[in-house]
Amino acid sequence: MKRFLSLMLLLFLLFIPLFVESPFTLHMLILIFFYIALSVAWNILSLSGNVSLGHCAFFGLAAYTSAILVIKLGVLPWFGLPAGIGMALLGATAMSLPMLRLRGPMFSLATIAFGEVLRQVAVTWRSLTAGSEGLTIPFETGWLVLQFPTKVPFYYIFLVLAAVSTFISYRIYYSAVGYHLRAAAADAEAAQSLGINTSRVQMIALYWSAGITGALGVFFTQYVYMIEPEWAFSMMLFSVQPVLNGIIGGIGTVFGPVLGAILMTPLGEYLRSYLGTLHQGFNFFVYGLILIGVVMAAPKGIFPALVPFLKAKGWMQNRRSETDVSSSSFRR
Amino acid sequence: MVDLIQVAVSGILLGGIYALLSVGLTLIFGVVRIINFAHGELLMIGMYLSYLIFVSIGLNPYYSVILVAPALFVIGVIIQRLVIQPIQEASAMMKVFATCGLFIVLQNLALMIFRGDYRTIQMDISMAALNISGVSISIPRLVAFAAAVVIFGVLYLMLKHTYVGKALRAVAENRSMAQLMGIRVQRLNMLAFGLGSALTGIAGAFLSPFTSVFPTIGGTYTLVAFVIVVLGGLGNMVGAFLGGLFIGLIESFSGTYISSALKEATYFVIFILILLVRPQGLFGMGKGTEEVGLK
Repeated sequence: MKRFLSLMLLLFLLFIPLFVESPFTLHMLILIFFYIALSVAWNILSLSGNVSLGHCAFFGLAAYTSAILVIKLGVLPWFGLPAGIGMALLGATAMSLPMLRLRGPMFSLATIAFGEVLRQVAVTWRSLTAGSEGLTIPFETGWLVLQFPTKVPFYYIFLVLAAVSTFISYRIYYSAVGYHLRAAAADAEAAQSLGINTSRVQMIALYWSAGITGALGVFFTQYVYMIEPEWAFSMMLFSVQPVLNGIIGGIGTVFGPVLGAILMTPLGEYLRSYLGTLHQGFNFFVYGLILIGVVMAAPKGIFPALVPFLKAKGWMQNRRSETDVSSSSFRR
Repeated sequence: MVDLIQVAVSGILLGGIYALLSVGLTLIFGVVRIINFAHGELLMIGMYLSYLIFVSIGLNPYYSVILVAPALFVIGVIIQRLVIQPIQEASAMMKVFATCGLFIVLQNLALMIFRGDYRTIQMDISMAALNISGVSISIPRLVAFAAAVVIFGVLYLMLKHTYVGKALRAVAENRSMAQLMGIRVQRLNMLAFGLGSALTGIAGAFLSPFTSVFPTIGGTYTLVAFVIVVLGGLGNMVGAFLGGLFIGLIESFSGTYISSALKEATYFVIFILILLVRPQGLFGMGKGTEEVGLK
């Protein structure tokens, strides 16, 4: 039953572009896939108990690296991709300095500062980034240059990215590293005393998280074919949004962030297009209220509430599960 | 030499504002034990209130601070009661999300009301300066510095010698023991958050005659305040005050000799350096630092 349903879902998703032609709908689906991948990537790091509010740094570093290579040196984006991911990993190495020394709010604060500083550097370093004017990727079409006249190829690209990220997150979650991460999040000293190298597993989580975010930066920049600092290092779009998706879906679970992204992306777009035009900032104002509201009313998110139901239906295996180890540490 | 003195003087004067801001933050941290990501937004509210009073009834910020400070006190108490108190027992992660949500709410509320424009209070005194043998001293900055010193002094004496001040210190020292001794911890939390907000609002009011206000101004000040508070030792009032002066100096020198566009980058580097080299701060930590993740 479970396998049949997954297959149906996959087929359904594969065939959607054949009967959906509205660019608006496709754009919405692309955004949902993008945010699924981004939220899942962010969540990998949060398994270790570290709340990053600076994932825009990885996104922006990779996006700028690839875009600059493509625009200034005429390199194909397929080569820009590993370069971008490499830069994101370098950024992750820098972020690991505060991560290994700090916990909780202080780390979050350092990550905010990290993203902000990179944004300022991108604004200031005009010879490389053209500052606030931004850069535009010249329009050619084809798979080689990753530019297309329709949205359909991007639909498939982001579908694959979302699926792959979720798969990676799933594998990490149920690997030894995943258990070690959750143990480290619950009680770092106890985990260490049992022989877990908490620094090592945190670094693994950070690198996966940053690498996926970097890849998303490269592809998403190809999709919108323009880049400027306020966008590429946007705290709201690429740091806060995955946090919100994660916490609404269920932080520290595999499918919580997926669920969060599916629910929040259409809502976010709706708020942006209706409220955002009414009053600048209204949509993010509502976001902030939602964030506070969720923390107070349902800090575990939606997914853990669904787990008993899924298990009863046999759609989820009775593995040592989604909620016990990790969320207890987040509740503490 | 005159140049150096000039840069140092403007740094110290700017540091007064930073000191006030950071003392507010460290007071909130010490008593309520929350890392308030929306701290800079309180400063922003203080600046906007000063601006509104100035354009509506023409009262200049030096007088209107008498209104702004209590207004911020009330706002702080409301925040503590409605947002912080319900999550007092939640995990550190949830507290990060809550105050981060608060920061988003306040920043975008300002954006909705005032749009993205820069608002400036134009007064005769804004540009005035004293000239002492070649070193020019900006009057509004001097006033701000003097006010910061006086207010810090009053606060310090209050904490040392009054009953309420002792109770606040007791809660900062050991919350559950204070509760057992019959201190009403929830009330003092509200008082501390209110006082911290009021101090920050005062900093905003004294900043407004020489700095334009815009909706996203808070972020920078939140960052500065945290760098200072970590530098001075979390929860350490005197440390926060001295740290404020020190960061004012650093900003002044780096702005003159490196680049003013990269001042946040400078803060960040200092922040990381302190954390790597001396995480307990220059003047030693207050209580409860381990709760917020300074290993």
